[in-house]
Amino acid sequence: MKTSLYSLRYVLGSAVNGLWRNRTMSIGAIITTTIMLITLAAFLAINDTLNQMVSALGRKSNLIAYVRDDARPSDVTRIIRDLQGQSGVAEVVFVTKEDALRIFQERFTDQTDVIDILQANPLPASVELRMENPAILPSLADELRELSDTFETVVVPLDVVERLIAVSNVSRVAGTVMVIALTGVTLFVVVNTIRVAVYARRQEIEIMKLVGATDWFVRGPFIIEGAFIGVFGATMAAGAMVALYAQVGPSITQIISFLPINTNVAYVRSLALFIVLVGLVVGSIGSYFSVRRYLAV
Amino acid sequence: MIVLQGVSKTYEGFTALSNVSVSIARGEFAFLIGTNGAGKTTLLRVLLREEPFDQGVVLVNGVDISTIRGASLTKFRRKIGMVFQDTRLLPNATVSENVGLPLKVRGRSNRDVSMAVNEVLKRVALLEKASRFPKQLSGGEQRKVALARAIISRPEILLCDEPTDSINPLHAREIIELLLDINADGVTTLVATHDSDIVNDLRRRVIRMDAGGVLEDMAVGVFNTS
Repeated sequence: MKTSLYSLRYVLGSAVNGLWRNRTMSIGAIITTTIMLITLAAFLAINDTLNQMVSALGRKSNLIAYVRDDARPSDVTRIIRDLQGQSGVAEVVFVTKEDALRIFQERFTDQTDVIDILQANPLPASVELRMENPAILPSLADELRELSDTFETVVVPLDVVERLIAVSNVSRVAGTVMVIALTGVTLFVVVNTIRVAVYARRQEIEIMKLVGATDWFVRGPFIIEGAFIGVFGATMAAGAMVALYAQVGPSITQIISFLPINTNVAYVRSLALFIVLVGLVVGSIGSYFSVRRYLAV
Repeated sequence: MIVLQGVSKTYEGFTALSNVSVSIARGEFAFLIGTNGAGKTTLLRVLLREEPFDQGVVLVNGVDISTIRGASLTKFRRKIGMVFQDTRLLPNATVSENVGLPLKVRGRSNRDVSMAVNEVLKRVALLEKASRFPKQLSGGEQRKVALARAIISRPEILLCDEPTDSINPLHAREIIELLLDINADGVTTLVATHDSDIVNDLRRRVIRMDAGGVLEDMAVGVFNTS
């Protein structure tokens, strides 16, 4: 137990010494990690913004079901309640005949005489849906069309919906592929940077093994050094990202108002934490594998 | 007790060791002599299990070293002190840190390590240079540091590869006297050298190697430079 404590103290001290004595390599590895993780963070933020844009567009697409004049109010109320509970539906709005007339009069102020001639309100009440998930619109429209006792017609802008679904799918798949690819590239670059740093100290590893060090005794300081490089680099990347969000985010949102940049504190914090976690994992795993090849002495 | 039976080793067609059979008793002092490429270094590296061999058997204290793996290999190496031809001192570590390394890897406390380092540096007359870095030392001093590192853990076997190579005769003599002193403590000592003066002066056992094989094994040998 005492021996293990002395070993632990040595491993920690050795890691600090290693970082300081090989500071050029350490700084190089930290800078590389920072740059790669800033790139990853930027891409994650862009991907999130794209997904938000697609979702925002989805929320704007509507389904309008025109209610028959002779439909039973209780049926309409029940259907509206069911639709409100349906997943993928963001908002359900019931537009009464009177509301429809008022909207018509507001929009077509020069044609109010048309209504006057008819002496009655010809406009139907309607149920309007704003979607969270536009992909379910076609099937939902079919379901509503089957309720012919309640609805006269169901209108869906299908071409818009189909395009939106296609854009949403492409954005999601491309985003996921890019995030995985970029994470892979980050891992590759950081691991190789650490590998170069470890390569420069391969003789040290060899000597330690030859004087009777166990694999973990040799590995320990390198893993701690790698973890430190990863976390330090990632913290700088996360710091830069948070600063960028705080300084530039609101300005961009003001200038390009349709761009839904997520400046929510919880989101930025979770993204920063994720980047630091990636740095920690990449740094320690990178060191573990970089040292492993030189341990076979 | 070290026993080699029919040990052979080739590197990409070059025969480094050829059917080497030799025994060294516990506590014995022996020189390995021969020209460059005779197989002396390879033999020492085989004994440290730094280098695998192709054929034959190597027994150290009755254990076939080719079967040692993992944690057992670590334990085995802790019984051996090695002075490498190129010293292999850590360039970024001080003399004390280099010398204390074998005890650090055994998990000994800073106090124990410090005491042992002081003792062994006193023995090699380098105590006043404890905080220097290897590049701040002469070649002879670096070899003494390497020797101090090899003996600090009180090994059962001491392997020295050209410990007096490229250093002045005064330092060479000091190192050899240290080796004899260590051997007198019962440490089996095997010294690879091509320093004929030292071999001839000491009149100890000499194993002459050539082209990877053992040419002669003399109980009290001389280095015949011809």
